[in-house]
Amino acid sequence: MIDPRYERLAELVLDYSLELKPGEVLRIDADAVAAPLILPLHCGGIKRGAHAYTAIDLSGLSELLVAHGSDEQLSFVSPVELREIDRIDAAISIWSEANTRSFSRVDAERRQRQLAAARQVAIRRRERVSRGEMRWCGTLSPTDAHAQDAGMSLDDYEDFVFRACHVLDDDPVGHWRAVGEELQARALELGSVHELRILGEDTDLTVSVEGRTWRAACGLHNIPDGEVYTSPVETGINGTIRFGFPAVYGGREVDDARLRLEDGRVVAAEAAGGDSYLQALLGMDEGARGVGEIAFGLNYEIDRFTRNILFDEKIGGTMHLALGMGFEDLGGQNRSALHFDLICDLRRDGEVYADGEPIWRNGRFLHDPQPARDVEHVG
Amino acid sequence: MSDSRDQRMADVLVDFCAEVREGDLVTIESTTLAAPILRDLYRRVLEAGAHPLPRISLEGLSENLLKYGNDAQLAWENPVRADDIETVDVRIVLEAPGNTKRLSNIDPARHAQYERSTERLRNRYLERAAAGELRWVLTAYPTQAAAQDASMSLTDYEDFVFGAAFLDDPDPVARWREFGERIDRLARFLSEKRELRIVAEGTDLRLAVEGRTWISAKGRENLPDGEVFTAPLETSVEGRIRFTYPAVFNAREVEDVRLRFEAGEVVEATATRGEQFLREMIGLDEGARRVGEFAFGLNDAVSIFTSNILFDEKIGGTVHLALGTAYPESGGLNRSALHWDMICDLRSGSEVYADGELVYRDGRFLNATNGSAD
Repeated sequence: MIDPRYERLAELVLDYSLELKPGEVLRIDADAVAAPLILPLHCGGIKRGAHAYTAIDLSGLSELLVAHGSDEQLSFVSPVELREIDRIDAAISIWSEANTRSFSRVDAERRQRQLAAARQVAIRRRERVSRGEMRWCGTLSPTDAHAQDAGMSLDDYEDFVFRACHVLDDDPVGHWRAVGEELQARALELGSVHELRILGEDTDLTVSVEGRTWRAACGLHNIPDGEVYTSPVETGINGTIRFGFPAVYGGREVDDARLRLEDGRVVAAEAAGGDSYLQALLGMDEGARGVGEIAFGLNYEIDRFTRNILFDEKIGGTMHLALGMGFEDLGGQNRSALHFDLICDLRRDGEVYADGEPIWRNGRFLHDPQPARDVEHVG
Repeated sequence: MSDSRDQRMADVLVDFCAEVREGDLVTIESTTLAAPILRDLYRRVLEAGAHPLPRISLEGLSENLLKYGNDAQLAWENPVRADDIETVDVRIVLEAPGNTKRLSNIDPARHAQYERSTERLRNRYLERAAAGELRWVLTAYPTQAAAQDASMSLTDYEDFVFGAAFLDDPDPVARWREFGERIDRLARFLSEKRELRIVAEGTDLRLAVEGRTWISAKGRENLPDGEVFTAPLETSVEGRIRFTYPAVFNAREVEDVRLRFEAGEVVEATATRGEQFLREMIGLDEGARRVGEFAFGLNDAVSIFTSNILFDEKIGGTVHLALGTAYPESGGLNRSALHWDMICDLRSGSEVYADGELVYRDGRFLNATNGSAD
C-alpha cells in the first residue's frame, strides 16, 4: 500500500524537477529506509516509459568500510560506478537516513578519506548536470531518524515535509512553476545590486555582490526548494553576524556561532557549543575562512529548524551564508573542501538594505519582484 | 547483534565458496530482507582485502517493471548490470524473498519477454565463470516467505537452512571439504559407467551417460550443495518416470508429473495438476522435450521438500532430471530456453543399476560398489 502523499511527491519530482521522458535512463539512489518513496518513484518512472532502476544502500555498510577498510579500500572508487554516471539521463538522490549519527564516533580522518572517494562520483555527476547532459534532483523520504532530529513524531514530520514540498496543494507543479517565476524575477533584480547590508540581532554585515549572478532554486535540483543565492565578492564582506540556529556539518553541531569578517575573511569566530569543532572547520584549508555563498531562504511552509540543511536553508525569512566552496558558475572564486551553511534568523528585527535602500524587513521582501519578462525587457 | 550462524555463513561464502581474494571486486546481491547477513558479508569481504559492491533490491521493483513496463522497457538490458557482469571478479547472490508468489499474476508472456532480456547476461556470466574469470555462489537467506513455502516457522526454517549448509558444525569448511571428497569419489565411480537404469514405483527409466562428464557440486557455486550431475546422451533416454515431488517452475507448481520417453524425447506427459502448463513448457522449443541433466541428490541434511530448487535438488536419496538446456561442462549438447528440474524421491522401494549392476538402493549408494557411501 503506497501512501498517496509519497506518490504525489514522486510525481512532482518526475514531472516537474526531472521532466522525465520515455526511453530515458533513470537512476534512483537511496538507502533502503527510503522504500516508501523509492517504490512510487520507480513505479512512476516505469509508467512514464523510462528505464528506471535503483541503487540501494543499506544503513551500516559504509560505517563498516570506515571502521574496517584498509587505506586502499577507503579510497577505492568502483570503475563501474564511474562509468555508470555517463549512461544516466536523470538521477534522483533520496537523502534519507536510518540514523543521522551513524558516523559520530568514527575516525574523522578516515571518514573524510571515504567521503573524498565518494565525491569523485558526485563531481562527475555535477559536471554532467552543469553541461546539461543529465538532470538531477535531491529529495527526502521522511524517516524516524529525521523526525527525531526535528524533535517530532514521524507522523508530524511527514506533515511538515509534505507541506514544505507543497505536494498536498491541488496543483503542486503549478505551485512550483509560480515559485520559479517569482524567484527568477527576484534573482534578476538582485543581480543589479552592488552591496547588501544585513542588520539583525548582533548582526551588521555588508556583503558585496557586484557583478555576481543570483540563482533561483525553485524545485529543479531540490524538493522542497525555495531560495535565491549567489557567491559574494570574495574580498567584499565586512562586519559581524550571529547565527541563531545550530549549524550542522558532518552530523555535528555548532551552536550560536558568531563571526567577524574583514575583507571577506573570518577574523574572529566563537560558538556557545561546538566551538572547537567550528575552529577545526575554519582551519580545514585556505578557503574555509572565506565565504562561498550568501542566500535568502524563501519557503514559508518551512517555519522551523529541523537539523537538516535541505529544509533549514530554505526556512522562509532567514538568510544563510556558507563558509568555503563557492559556485564557479555564479562568479564565485573561493575554493575549499568545506561548504558549511550557517543560518541567520531574520524573522524578527531583521533588515536588509540593497545599496542603501531597504528591501527586506522581518523576514519578508518589502515588495514583489517585477515580473521577469519586464525586467528582461528593461535590461 | 547478528545470529552467529549469519557470521559463519558469511565466512563460508567468502572464504570457501567464492574464495574471495585481495583486490577482488565482489558484488553482494540480495534484497533488503537479508540485511543482517549483508553486513556480515560486507565486513568479511573487506577483511579479505577485496572491494564489496552491494547490489540490493527492494521487494516490488521487478513487479513494477513486469506490470507496467512496455515492450522496450521489458526488453531493456541495463548497461550498468552488464558492466557489473563484465567487470567483477566475484558474485555472491542471496535469495531472500518477501513473497515468493509476488509475480504469480504476471502474464506469462510478459514474464517470458523479460526473461529473454536477461538471457544474454546470464549466458555471459556463465561464460566468464566457465573461463575462470568470475567466481559465483548462490545461496538462500531464511525469510518468512521462504519458510511459508516450506510449511515451517521461520525459526524452524532457519535451522533447516543453516543445518543444510553445515553451519552448526564446529568447522563448516572442513566438513564441506570432506563431503566434497566423497562426492568426487562418486563422480569418478559414475564416470566409468555407460548406462543407468532407475527403477521405482511408476518409474523404469534408462539413460546412457557414456563419455559424459559427471560434475561434483560440492559447495562452490551453491550453498548448500551436494549433488553429482551429468547430461545423458541426447537420444538415449527411454522409459517412464514419475516425479514424487511437485515440479516448480517460475513459482508455478505441477503435481505428480509423469513422463514417457522414446529415443530421448518426451512422448507423453501427464500431471494431476498443472498439466496444461507442463505441456506449454515442454513445447517451448525443440530442446525443451529432451533431458539436459541427470543428477543424484546427496545432502542428507536436506531431507524434506521445501519448494525451493536450491535445496530440493540436493535432498539426499533423490534423483532429478532437467528438461531443457544442458550444462556444457558436462558434455551435454541439448540447448533450450528451458531448464526445469524435476525431483524423484528414491528413498524407499527403489533401485538404480549401472551397466546392469545394482549400485544404489532406497536412496543410498551401496558400499560394495563405490566405497563412498556413508
